[in-house]
Amino acid sequence: MSSDTSGSKRQAVISAFASRKRTLGFTLSPSLLWLLLLLMAPLTFMVVISFMSINDAYEIVWQPTMANYSGLFTGSGPFWETPFFHSLMLSYAIAGITTILCLVMAFPLAYFLARRGGRTFKVIIFLVLLPFFTMYLVRAYSWYLMFGPSGVINRTLLKTGIVNGPIGLFNYGIPAIVVGLVHAYFPYMLLSLYASMEGLDFSLVEAARDLGASRTGTLRDVILPLTLPGIISGSLFVFVPALGAFITPRFLGQGRVLMVGQLIEGRITGQYAIDYGSAASMFIVVSIVVAFALAFRYVSIEELGGV
Amino acid sequence: MAAETGTTTERADESSESPTFGHERRQRLLRRGLYVIVGLLLVFLWIPLVAMMFLSFAVNSSTFFPFQGFTFAHYTATFADGSLMTALLNSVQVATFSALIATVLGVLASFALVRYDFPLKELYRTFGILPMVIPGVVLGIALIIYFQTVLGMTMGPITLILTHSIYGFPFVLLMVTARLYTFDRSLEDAARDLGADPLTTFWDVTLPIVAPAIGAGFLFAWIRSFEDFIRAHFVGGTMNVITVSMYSMIKYGTAPKMNAISTFIVFVIAVALAVAMNVGNVTGYVAGTGGGEEE
Repeated sequence: MSSDTSGSKRQAVISAFASRKRTLGFTLSPSLLWLLLLLMAPLTFMVVISFMSINDAYEIVWQPTMANYSGLFTGSGPFWETPFFHSLMLSYAIAGITTILCLVMAFPLAYFLARRGGRTFKVIIFLVLLPFFTMYLVRAYSWYLMFGPSGVINRTLLKTGIVNGPIGLFNYGIPAIVVGLVHAYFPYMLLSLYASMEGLDFSLVEAARDLGASRTGTLRDVILPLTLPGIISGSLFVFVPALGAFITPRFLGQGRVLMVGQLIEGRITGQYAIDYGSAASMFIVVSIVVAFALAFRYVSIEELGGV
Repeated sequence: MAAETGTTTERADESSESPTFGHERRQRLLRRGLYVIVGLLLVFLWIPLVAMMFLSFAVNSSTFFPFQGFTFAHYTATFADGSLMTALLNSVQVATFSALIATVLGVLASFALVRYDFPLKELYRTFGILPMVIPGVVLGIALIIYFQTVLGMTMGPITLILTHSIYGFPFVLLMVTARLYTFDRSLEDAARDLGADPLTTFWDVTLPIVAPAIGAGFLFAWIRSFEDFIRAHFVGGTMNVITVSMYSMIKYGTAPKMNAISTFIVFVIAVALAVAMNVGNVTGYVAGTGGGEEE
């Protein structure tokens, strides 16, 4: 493969990587630089902006203020009646329901995949992964075709004579958004669960059964604790992106449901209100930090990386 | 708890001899129930996509009834749309450049994380995963503010490639570290003992073993960039990428072309995935096992 044409160059490369310290520097510094410049710095700056304001010329006024934060929660009524509080709570609820549904649905499938090898495994994992690899926008759009008063579901029900008017459940709104989000993030949950179940020693399950444990008892005392890392990391990878979702609520809510991601996007692209948008984003950022901190109480980072 | 999860699974023979007939029947019913659940889940995952694919060939492109027949007209109109094809090409270019950057950074970082100890390593890994988890709206806004007001850049291809390179980084990092953790270091030691220099060892032993994971990471990062709308919406400037075109197609209701281009993309990705799964055994890496069937 590698011929000895330029021996001196080779030696230079080898000696460059000879000391562990220098190798660490070579391997670590590019990504460190990237993460600092394109993740840490922007996020830090966003925190700063959230305490500043912008003037009519869209320039930043460098004067610390809490106006953005108080502005989020002031309206004609008490703070729980403000639009921001509403959409924040709605987002938490929708993301929570989505996470639970993903967990309930992915668990049996992950178990099935972990206990089955060969061809069945390959075919099913292909059928699961293909929608996952398909563009998010396409999947949101495909559900957009299904829902609505004259969407595929309602039209089909009407034409087959099962119902005689469009069913509200299949119109755009919260149920449609939840379905779209479950469809979008289900594979994250499945892959996390599968990763932890794949490493599970099923002889422990059999031992529990032999020793007289019931099926539910085995599930509760053996399977669930052993797959906890997968459950937690899967929930994290579903809950956090669902919280800040934008496309799905936009198309499947049709203006009737305002999640926090849409609210922020609207302010930024509509009015370039980066101060307001930053302050609102802080609630998502803080939620992520809290979710991660909670997760780390139960699993280590190695187990979390199993996705 | 952590100790057990690391052990390898022997798939137990499921046809265990059971003492009672009732037990066996219940076992069979449960297994059949599991098959039904798996089937229903696959239907759920596929039904909207299948409906969309069907509609891409239908004359009336937004609903089944009244059905007016099949046509290829939507496809010919889509491929004749110059601006749409430019957007597709732009997306391919952005995805390729950003996935390349993400792969180089991710592979290097994986070696550092798996093989060396350094202060704040755990924290570093958490930050490495963050770009994948953090909602696109937040990352998009943070970056547009940063690019515009701190760096004074104009939004365009460069800012988009930079954004997607940081977005794709965790996908490469996760896959390559998973592979390196299961990597048998004694193979490298053996090569060194047999007289290979470090560079030869890396090229002939380490890289071939890690290569499929690198490929899977690249593929993942590429697709994530290709399909991203929200980050591109913020930092893409006036650049027209495919998701931005598709977004406005949905918004202004031109369903025929949307069905056709979507179906076409699903088809291309299906072929790519099937090839990757059969040639490079991507499944193992994607499913996070790092092992796969080749062992």
